Amino acid sequence: MVSGQDALLSQMRRGTLQYCVLSLLDTEERYGFDLVRALAEQDGMVTSEGTIYPLLSRLRRDGLVESNWQESTSGPPRRYYRLTEGGRSALQAFRVEWRRFRDAVDHFVERTAAQ
Amino acid sequence: MSDSTDKLVDDYLDRLEQELANFPAARRRELVQEISGHIAEARAALDDETEADVRNLLDRIGDPADIAAEAGMGAQAQATPPPPAPVQAPARARGSGWDVVALVMLLIGGLILPVIGWFIGVVLLWISETWSTGEKLLGTLLVPGGLALPLFLLTVGTSANSCGGDVGGPITCTGGNGTGSVAVAVLVIALFVVPIAVVAYLARRRSQVAVPT
Repeated sequence: MVSGQDALLSQMRRGTLQYCVLSLLDTEERYGFDLVRALAEQDGMVTSEGTIYPLLSRLRRDGLVESNWQESTSGPPRRYYRLTEGGRSALQAFRVEWRRFRDAVDHFVERTAAQ
Repeated sequence: MSDSTDKLVDDYLDRLEQELANFPAARRRELVQEISGHIAEARAALDDETEADVRNLLDRIGDPADIAAEAGMGAQAQATPPPPAPVQAPARARGSGWDVVALVMLLIGGLILPVIGWFIGVVLLWISETWSTGEKLLGTLLVPGGLALPLFLLTVGTSANSCGGDVGGPITCTGGNGTGSVAVAVLVIALFVVPIAVVAYLARRRSQVAVPT
């Protein structure tokens, strides 16, 4: 792939990844390893797993998620992340915008491909 | 679990720690703690751990430099060169604009709004996060009033230098004789040069300051 396209894909992933994280936390709280595993299951979403942690740290400092430590049955305590009210409304706002954007791009890109 | 795989993990965490050396201690601790927890969870999930398993696992987590770059988001150092205009925190962008206003007001604020204009510059200087306390002191003390001060002195000086005399009496001049006026001239020039130099220095520092996140 052209390097410019690589850079674009990496930017798109970067811009949307945080909302994927917020979405994963929408229904349940999760600890870091669990979150990373869920993201990595989708091909192309995560290139290096470790970069999720700075993202989580930033989301926490921005007040979109909060965390607390919980005992684990199989090892040391885990830090669990959950959405805050702010995180929930940020996610909701993104969903609306994302659908609009996705539909608009699809409208052109998919139509051209179909011809 | 063996000594050699433990060493791989320890080396990895050491490198991560080094890459994060410039971050506040609490951030660094949090990230190292989370990633070392991640490694422990991943290793616990392995049935029969081999050195290759651990190497693969660390590869998937990624280069510590990439993790540090992500932590310093908005900063450069990406694995792939990002397009221009990285995302900047709005608060930061706003701060930068006010920084410029601060410098302008420090220099010529006193000319726009006597005294008050310079004070506005000082207030903006001190609430900015761009400069260190030392630099803020420098900006405040050199020179109070900015360019308004030498201009004011010049105006006063010129009018004080006027000569006058009674009709038929001896002509008397006030001020402006010999060494005194040279010293005043040097002082006034210095008062012009110093604030300009200080503001130029602060502007340079501003452009050098890396964007903290």
